[in-house]
Amino acid sequence: MAQITLDVFRFDEAVDVVPHRSQVTVDVPETTTVLDALETAKAEVDGSISFRRSCRSAICGSCSMNINGTTGLACKTPCNTVMDKDGVIQVDPMPNFQPMKDLVVHMDPFWDKYTRLKPYLQPADRDEDHATERRVSPEDMKKLVDVANCVMCATCYALCPVVSVDPAFAGPAAIAYAYRFIEDVRDSKRDERIAQISEDYLWLCAHCYACSYCPKHVDPNDRIVDVKRAAIADRVMMNERGPRHALTVNRTIRQTGMLDETELILGTIGRFNVRGLLKVAPLGLRMAAKGKLPPIFLKPIPKVDEVRTIFDALEVPVA
Amino acid sequence: MSTTLLPEQRAGDAHKQTKSSQSKRYGFFPGCVAKESCKELFNSAMLLADRLGIELVELTAASCCGASVVNDTNRDVARVLNARTYAQAEALGLDDVITICSTCTGHMRAANKELLESDVHMTQANAILGKFGARYNGTVTVRHLLWLLIDDIGLDRLREMVVRPLNGLKVAPFYGCHIIRPESVNGWESSRRPHSLEDIIAAIGGEPIDYAGKTRCCGFHIQLEKEGVATSMVGQNMRMAKDRGAQAVLTPCPLCHLALDGYQADSAARWGRTDLPTFHLPQLVAFALGVPPEKLGLNKHLIDPRTVMVAQELIA
Ligand code: SF4
Ligand code: SF4
Ligand code: FES
Repeated sequence: MAQITLDVFRFDEAVDVVPHRSQVTVDVPETTTVLDALETAKAEVDGSISFRRSCRSAICGSCSMNINGTTGLACKTPCNTVMDKDGVIQVDPMPNFQPMKDLVVHMDPFWDKYTRLKPYLQPADRDEDHATERRVSPEDMKKLVDVANCVMCATCYALCPVVSVDPAFAGPAAIAYAYRFIEDVRDSKRDERIAQISEDYLWLCAHCYACSYCPKHVDPNDRIVDVKRAAIADRVMMNERGPRHALTVNRTIRQTGMLDETELILGTIGRFNVRGLLKVAPLGLRMAAKGKLPPIFLKPIPKVDEVRTIFDALEVPVA
Repeated sequence: MSTTLLPEQRAGDAHKQTKSSQSKRYGFFPGCVAKESCKELFNSAMLLADRLGIELVELTAASCCGASVVNDTNRDVARVLNARTYAQAEALGLDDVITICSTCTGHMRAANKELLESDVHMTQANAILGKFGARYNGTVTVRHLLWLLIDDIGLDRLREMVVRPLNGLKVAPFYGCHIIRPESVNGWESSRRPHSLEDIIAAIGGEPIDYAGKTRCCGFHIQLEKEGVATSMVGQNMRMAKDRGAQAVLTPCPLCHLALDGYQADSAARWGRTDLPTFHLPQLVAFALGVPPEKLGLNKHLIDPRTVMVAQELIA
């Protein structure tokens, strides 16, 4: 047994203006989960502590919260992996959400982004008489099973740094779930779905891998890349900055072997997009003043033709 | 008992020996940005290597690592580009490849992991490399200079080598996503609670500042996607650092450097002024080890770090 002190974020939107904290000490085996420690605290010490939970076994997705500053499922986190030397564990509501009461948050933005996906199969025919099966090969199904493990706990959404500054971004889980339908051979709305998730800022993912902490190994970060490849392959919304950026990177590496920083800006924003270029100009001028501008003409690396051979052998799109 | 080894075993052991007896020579992959807009990083790394008594042999014909972006359009190209670089390193007998960029580290390691773990990938890469007579045999290890400092030089030795301690300068570490995440690719230290930069800061006489932003994203890769987003990510992180009392930031990544140094001016509108000068890892370590500050390109930063260095009585 160990003495564990839960340092809990307390807030009730109905009465409180500012949050406060309370410390609750419980005697539990140190291998117990943070959720069970909270349950014990609620049962034995302070019945007013609020948190969501149901399954207690990482299946329902209810109990995601911040534990010592990083987000995860309380029922999947043993106390002895997170407590400090005095046995203290800080628990807070998930960031990127509005707190409702203690560890319970308003989940609406997360569900809204999910609902926008039309998260159900839209086959080409309505199959009113249910006469034939819609068959999927094992290989095609394999692509979808990882994503189907998503329990919608919103851990990834809470950890996403882009969501934290721009709530218009769909967020990792919604893009992963879009992938689930985009890659489903039974669905008929592939390109509409790609277009819609592109409009919800697919390309605004910052490649930070924070969502690789998904407790169910959905790895939205990898699914986001898959959706981008689908967008490029189907040539959906190619005039957006995201695809232009990616293709310009390809083009400059193929030409010079290097990532050409100057060309990247021109290619992404558009050589003739004067307004767009003027917006990035102040930073460019500040850099120029410090002698920090990248070279205008980049000298290709030695044996750059080898790089071109690689690009051509793999048929990498460059524009 | 027979001690006969299989040929590849013997080769393997011999190769290990050369590695430890001549551990002073490393393959060096500076990456694009250190050769373009952050030349001060390249120069500082070379000067630091000199101080440390190691040789960084630049892989001059290496290409871009793919910068996390080429993956967006093709699942194979980054892997094969990096296989080409590794083949060059092997041909030079330099299988210990050192980077000075978090993004290079993560993406080169990811490519190498795929090559080493899958015969299909290795065969595909070598089929293409074969078109120009190159071949990758799978002997390369990719590490960041940060890891070299701790594993090969050691914090104790680093501490001994300091001639210009930082006088308790309060430095906020900023790791850069790709040197820590995903853990399956990097895994050199905990990605949720890393402390290598803190250890280096302390070893050279600074005071490391702890703040939640240190493992978060600088937004560099989306600087052009939508106005204000990357800027705001920088502002948010720098606000946290500043509120914890930081006087400066230290990063092992030139992309983070471009973002942190470049966008703070514009993030002030939303997050308040932070104006934290940002050092490249080799810059600050080289300074502490006695490299003359005027050689470190400190005048190339948009937020001039010399102001705080003067205030801290580090330079006149
Ligand atoms: S992708 Fe993972 S972290 Fe995100 S909601 Fe689904 S299960 Fe949770
Ligand atoms: S990888 Fe993209 S979606 Fe995932 S947390 Fe980072 S920015 Fe958000
Ligand atoms: S209680 Fe169901 S996931 Fe934790």
